[in-house]
Amino acid sequence: MSAMRVLLRHHVRLHRMPLVPLAAGLALFEWIMTFVARQPAVSRFLTSALNAAPPEFLALLNQDLVSSVSAQGIIGVGYAHPFALLMMAVVAVRVPSAALAGEIGRGTMDLMAARPVMRAAHVAAALTATLAGLAILAAAAYAGTLVGLVFRPVEGVSTLRYGLVALQLWLTFACWGCVALAASALSREPGQAIAWAAGLMAGSYVLDYAARVWTLLAPLRPLSLFRYYEPQRVVNAGISGIDVLVPGAVGAAALLVAFGVFWRRDL
Amino acid sequence: MPTDAFPIRAVGLGKRYGSLTALTDLNLEVGQGEAFGFLGPNGAGKTTTIRLLLGLLRPTTGEAVVLGKRVARSAAWRGDVGYLPGDVKFWPRLSGEETLDFLGGLSGRAALARNGLLKRLELGPAELARPVRTYSDGMRQKLGIVQALQCTPKLALLDEPTKGLDPLMQQAFYEIVADMRRHGTTVFLSSHVIAEVERVCERVAMLRAGKLVTVGTVVGLRQAERRRVVAHFREPVDLAALAHFGEVVASAEQRVELLVGQAQMPALVARLGMLPLVDLLVERPTLEEAFLERYR
Repeated sequence: MSAMRVLLRHHVRLHRMPLVPLAAGLALFEWIMTFVARQPAVSRFLTSALNAAPPEFLALLNQDLVSSVSAQGIIGVGYAHPFALLMMAVVAVRVPSAALAGEIGRGTMDLMAARPVMRAAHVAAALTATLAGLAILAAAAYAGTLVGLVFRPVEGVSTLRYGLVALQLWLTFACWGCVALAASALSREPGQAIAWAAGLMAGSYVLDYAARVWTLLAPLRPLSLFRYYEPQRVVNAGISGIDVLVPGAVGAAALLVAFGVFWRRDL
Repeated sequence: MPTDAFPIRAVGLGKRYGSLTALTDLNLEVGQGEAFGFLGPNGAGKTTTIRLLLGLLRPTTGEAVVLGKRVARSAAWRGDVGYLPGDVKFWPRLSGEETLDFLGGLSGRAALARNGLLKRLELGPAELARPVRTYSDGMRQKLGIVQALQCTPKLALLDEPTKGLDPLMQQAFYEIVADMRRHGTTVFLSSHVIAEVERVCERVAMLRAGKLVTVGTVVGLRQAERRRVVAHFREPVDLAALAHFGEVVASAEQRVELLVGQAQMPALVARLGMLPLVDLLVERPTLEEAFLERYR
C-alpha cells in the first residue's frame, strides 16, 4: 500500500466520527430550508419581516430582499446561513490543523516523519483529506436540498441550480482549507493553526459584511473571500469566472506556502 | 572505506536555534553492525543529534549521511531505519495494533519481526486491542520498541530505549538488541543509563553542551581513566609520600584511597612495597566513573 493511501486512511480514521454529525446536520438543515420555502405563511412572514428589517440585517444574510422571499431565494439562504458556513468552517480548519501542527504538537509527527515518506506526501494527504471532507459536507447539503425538492417539488425551482451552489460552497471552503493548511505548516501546535485560520476566516467574513453595510468600506470588499461566494447570484446566473479564479488563486498560493514551509521546517 | 561501511556519518554537523547552540561541529562515524552508545547529561544535544540524523531537523552547518544517503536529499533510506524517540507519543484513540499497522504501513516493508518482538516483550492480543490511552508508561515504551524494530531495520536509532521498563523487560530488550546485532543491524543507542550503554555497546561517544567530548571503545575509555587504588597498612603512613603518585581521595586510620593514572602505577606499586602494606585493591573505573570524571 502506498504511503499516501496509508496517510489518507489515517486521516479518515481520525476525522470520520466528527464528519458524520456535521454532514447529517447540514443535510437536515438544507432539507428543512426546502420545507420552509414552500410554506406560504413563511413567505408572507418573511416578506413583512424583511420589509421591516434594517438594511444591515439584510446584508448579514447576503441576500437580495426580493429574491429571498421567493421559494428559490429561501433555499438559497440556507447555503449562505451562518449555520451552514460554520459546519463547513469546522472541517476546513480542523482537518488541516490536526494533520500537520496537530501531529507535531502531539509528538507523533516524529514517528511518521521518520518513515520513508516525503514531507510533501504529508501535506498532500492532509489536503486530500480536507478536500474530501468538504466535498462530503457540500454533497450532504445538496442531498438535503435534493431530497426536499424531489419528493415535494416546488414550482419554478430547479434542483440543478443548487448543485452549482454546493460546488461554489465547496470551492470557497476548499480555499479556506488551503489557508488553514498553510497555517498548520507554519505552526507547532494545533491551537496556533486554528487561531490563525479561524481568525483570518472570521476577519474575511466581517470585512465582507462591513463592506456591504458601509459604503466607505465597499472598495475593500474584493479583499474578502466571502465576496466570491454569493449563492443567490449562482442560483440566478450560475458561477462566474471571477468567483472561481480568485478563490482558486488564493488557494494555490496558500498551497505553495504550505508545501514550501513544511518541506524546509524543523519538525 | 566505502561510504556504506558507515551507516552513520556526521560531518561538521551543527544546529542552532536563534542564539542557542544545540550542537556544534559533530564529526562522527558509526560502523556497520556496530552498537554505538551516545552519552551525555540532559540538554547535551543527544536527541538533537538523532533528529538531525533522521532529517527531522535541518542542520545549520555540516551534513549527515545515513546508510550512504545524504539525509536532506531523499526519504527512501528511512525504510531501513527504526526509530524510537526518547519521549514516545502515540495516538490515544488508536489501539496498539492499529498503531503498529499504521506505522508499519508507512515504512513500506513487511513487519516480519513484529510477532517475535511482541512475544518477547509480553504484549498480548488483549493489550494490543486496547486504545493506547489506556496503556501504562511501560506498555507504551514496549509498543515504541516494537514499532521501531518490527520491520527489521538495518539501522536502529534508539533514544532512552529502556525508560519505564521493569528489570525483566530491560533484560528482554538487551536480548533483542543482541539478536539484532547477530543479524547485522547497527544500533545507535542514546541513554542516561551508563551501565546499559556499557553492557550493550562497544563504542561510545560523550557529548557535553552540544560538543563531542570523546569517542572511543568502552574498554579504552575505562582504561584511559585513573584507577582506584585502596591500600590497607599495618600502621598509619605519611600521606605525602603517596600523594606524589596520584590524588588521595580518602584516608582513614590505616586505609588510604587514591586515584592513580596508568603511567604512575608501576612507581606506586614499588613505593607501596616499601611501606607496611597489608592489603591492596586496584580497580578499573566503571564507564560511569569515566563518564563522571569527564563531566566534573
